[in-house]
Amino acid sequence: MGVADLLWNYWAAGGANIDERLESALGGGIVYADRHLVVTRTEEPDGLYFAGEIDVTNSHAVAESLGNASMGDADVHLDLSGLSFCDISGIRSLVDAAESRPTGRLMLHGLPVLLQTVMNVTGWSDLPNLRICNCEAGR
Amino acid sequence: MSSFHMPARDRFRHEALLYAGWAEFVAGTVPFIRDGVRAGEPVLVVESADKIQMLRVALGDDAGAVLFADMADVGANPARIIPAWHDFVSRHGTGRRLRGIGEPIWKGRSADELIECQRHESLLNVAFGHGQPWWLLCPYDTEMLDELVIDEARRSHEFVTERSQVSSSEIFRGIEGSGAPFDVPLPERGTALEQLEFGPGDLATVRAMVLRGARSAGIEARAAELVTALNEIATNSIRHGGGNGTLRVWQEDSTLVCEVRDKGQFDKPLVDRERPAPTASAPRGLWLANQLCDLVQIRTLPDGTVVRLHMRRRPQQHLRVVPDTVGNPPAIN
Repeated sequence: MGVADLLWNYWAAGGANIDERLESALGGGIVYADRHLVVTRTEEPDGLYFAGEIDVTNSHAVAESLGNASMGDADVHLDLSGLSFCDISGIRSLVDAAESRPTGRLMLHGLPVLLQTVMNVTGWSDLPNLRICNCEAGR
Repeated sequence: MSSFHMPARDRFRHEALLYAGWAEFVAGTVPFIRDGVRAGEPVLVVESADKIQMLRVALGDDAGAVLFADMADVGANPARIIPAWHDFVSRHGTGRRLRGIGEPIWKGRSADELIECQRHESLLNVAFGHGQPWWLLCPYDTEMLDELVIDEARRSHEFVTERSQVSSSEIFRGIEGSGAPFDVPLPERGTALEQLEFGPGDLATVRAMVLRGARSAGIEARAAELVTALNEIATNSIRHGGGNGTLRVWQEDSTLVCEVRDKGQFDKPLVDRERPAPTASAPRGLWLANQLCDLVQIRTLPDGTVVRLHMRRRPQQHLRVVPDTVGNPPAIN
């Protein structure tokens, strides 16, 4: 059973009773979940893993997850490789989160190519606190 | 005699060049370019690849001082042309006059592309009419284009040159008239593959429906772009268009069309072609749609707004024919 199926079971159960298999498949504590998106804590590197879809109905999840995960002042690594969709409000929430951090950058890993294009054409490709990493530091 | 020695002007000059045949095209454009180059004015020519090739040859050494861009790339979606001119004016126009040549309308344009090109020509007056002085010449091929297209060129351009004579267009609609809401109804074509009334909780359903449409139209490779663009249009409906809307998806011969109707109103004529400000809150949805889709049509009607996104089902056939010899260029079609 893949992560997507496990997530579906989780959503279908109304977000209750997190399956142990799901927890282990996601590899960390869940800091945010709704019907379309699950965010889990990652340790190495220090950060968050996003799986599912972000749109205007749940883009608040970015700030909420960062808050729930009580990240420190160092760089925070966001693994976005599990995102099957992210709209402008989702990118905007990443930009806002990066700009509101007093220190430390948001490092984006596994950014889908189209999202990278969207960030370029909408003028969000060159922000000091938001870095797009094509390195192996994410999962 | 030449129209290019008129007194210098202190504002934007939007001029149509009506030409019949290659000789008239060259006679109308080469002196215009050369005068600009020799006056030290930056010149950008946005034309088809074959015309660029011909102009390079005709200009000789002066061609080295001219910027060229392929209209098939810049203007495939005509809403991307004004941002390109904005870039040119802001990069090269500090304290200087500039010149441009842009031919967005050719015979191969589809009916929907043609009408959006005509809208683009009018919006140029809004975009630049109150800004710094520069001179934009827009060639129209009178042998290949319908008479109605030429009539519309006289409404969207303040000046018209034909047979080497320049005159003010008596039917120019003016800068303010050029920005009037675009309320020409869109033709109803075919039958919707699917239709959906959507509300705030339905964006995932909206995306799934667009994805199905893209798959059935055989454009899966571009599905993610279309889904991303359409999601922004539907989000606008939810946030600014009364909270809900209607999505319809259908196929035409050459394109897949996704249409959103809602109760909102767009009141800024350049809303979809102004580069977003860097502030996080600046709107970006319509801009993005124009960058991702082959054509975006926006209509403001008394009871709401219609937005159509088009994706071509086959790659566009562009005008990329390079002449065999300089003296014998191919016909445009």
